[in-house]
Amino acid sequence: MKVLLAEDEKDLNDVLSAMLTHSGYEVDSVLNGAEAVEHAKNNVYDAIVMDIMMPVMDGITALKEIRSRMNMTPVLLLTAKTEVSDRITGLDAGADDYLTKPFAMGELLARVRALTRRHNTYTPRILTVENVTLNLENAELSCLNSISLATKEIHLMELLMSNPEVIFSSEEIVNRIWQDDEDADSELVWMYISFLRNKLKAVGSSLQITGERGGSFCLTSINI
Amino acid sequence: MSDRSFTTKEFEINESGNNPAIPSIYGDFQPVLEDVAALLLGRIVSYSRDSKKEQNSKPYEHLSYRIKSEESMRAKCAKLGLDATTANALSSIRDAIGVRVVCLFIDDIYENIEQIRHFKGCKVVDEKDYILQSKPNGYRSYHLILNVTELLNELVLPEGSFRPECLYAEIQLRTIAMDTWAALEHEMKYKKDIPHPELISQELKRCADELASCDVSMQTLRDLIRGS
Repeated sequence: MKVLLAEDEKDLNDVLSAMLTHSGYEVDSVLNGAEAVEHAKNNVYDAIVMDIMMPVMDGITALKEIRSRMNMTPVLLLTAKTEVSDRITGLDAGADDYLTKPFAMGELLARVRALTRRHNTYTPRILTVENVTLNLENAELSCLNSISLATKEIHLMELLMSNPEVIFSSEEIVNRIWQDDEDADSELVWMYISFLRNKLKAVGSSLQITGERGGSFCLTSINI
Repeated sequence: MSDRSFTTKEFEINESGNNPAIPSIYGDFQPVLEDVAALLLGRIVSYSRDSKKEQNSKPYEHLSYRIKSEESMRAKCAKLGLDATTANALSSIRDAIGVRVVCLFIDDIYENIEQIRHFKGCKVVDEKDYILQSKPNGYRSYHLILNVTELLNELVLPEGSFRPECLYAEIQLRTIAMDTWAALEHEMKYKKDIPHPELISQELKRCADELASCDVSMQTLRDLIRGS
């Protein structure tokens, strides 16, 4: 699992990074809100741990920015403030949980575990990007008409539509969609990308999946 | 040379309205309609033979045609507020002649359409892509309306025969999966007292979307096999 850590106090940042890494997470750490927004745009995380008081861009603004891009990654806010109003502002801006400094490392790790465990319930069951809708309950992709998708097609489409404009390598896709299938390789990815490309075309969508066989893929607008 | 695929089964067998006591709405023109349909089928068979020679694959799986039944034609005139005259049946209503092209793969449909656009003496005057813009119930097909008036010059009409101002034919193109779906939907539409009709309609729509998905997957696999 991959965690983005945004904390401007260098020492605390180092300690948290070490603790999370030691607990088995892959950690990207940054020192301000603007970097956090940039990282969240270009990567897929299972959780984001973010301080509120940071230079360049504060945590609340960064969080609002991240949520405005339909990014629903669970967010844990760290705050030195004890006022109730700050916690409310943070939660209303799209945070899933908060922790008041100073805190015990054990509690932070437990809260990150809880957030990543709950991930599925935070994902909307209907995804919309431009004129295309993916209904996860009915396994249905629709635009000018609707078409059914097979199980792996839904998972791959969900990954791409949850992260438009993000580039995924064939290997990343194998690791995320076919983690239980040791025979899965880039050829399988290419086949499913091909299925989805033609299905996007069949429903008359304005989205396309760019990329070449064996390479990296990205869901993007045809109109760009 | 016989082509086994040149089947001409009718796709709307409904002769119940043919009462010999009432003169046909088509007057003496019915055999001419049959001849025009045969000309259209002949042309489709012809380009298909060429394609088979060149690419070793046939752009359609089977063909069928029908002349709209007496009863359906009269009902359509009534629905549109037209008098049930031969002129209206042939020139105002545009599907007295219906040809259906059933294909194995989606891309074959578009290959056929391109060929049909170049038919000498025929002009595409209207087309509806119900494959891209499927009907709300899930119906998918591509419909072309051809003005085929000029084809009458290729036929020897009986002396003193009625000659319509315009003559049209409708060509419907679809895959086997779409055809199977439409057959079941047609059956449901004309059967009375079906239990749970809303549930059946809802599931028919779901099946249409699943069949569409399979059609696209099969096309994709064919492309991957052929390396395109």
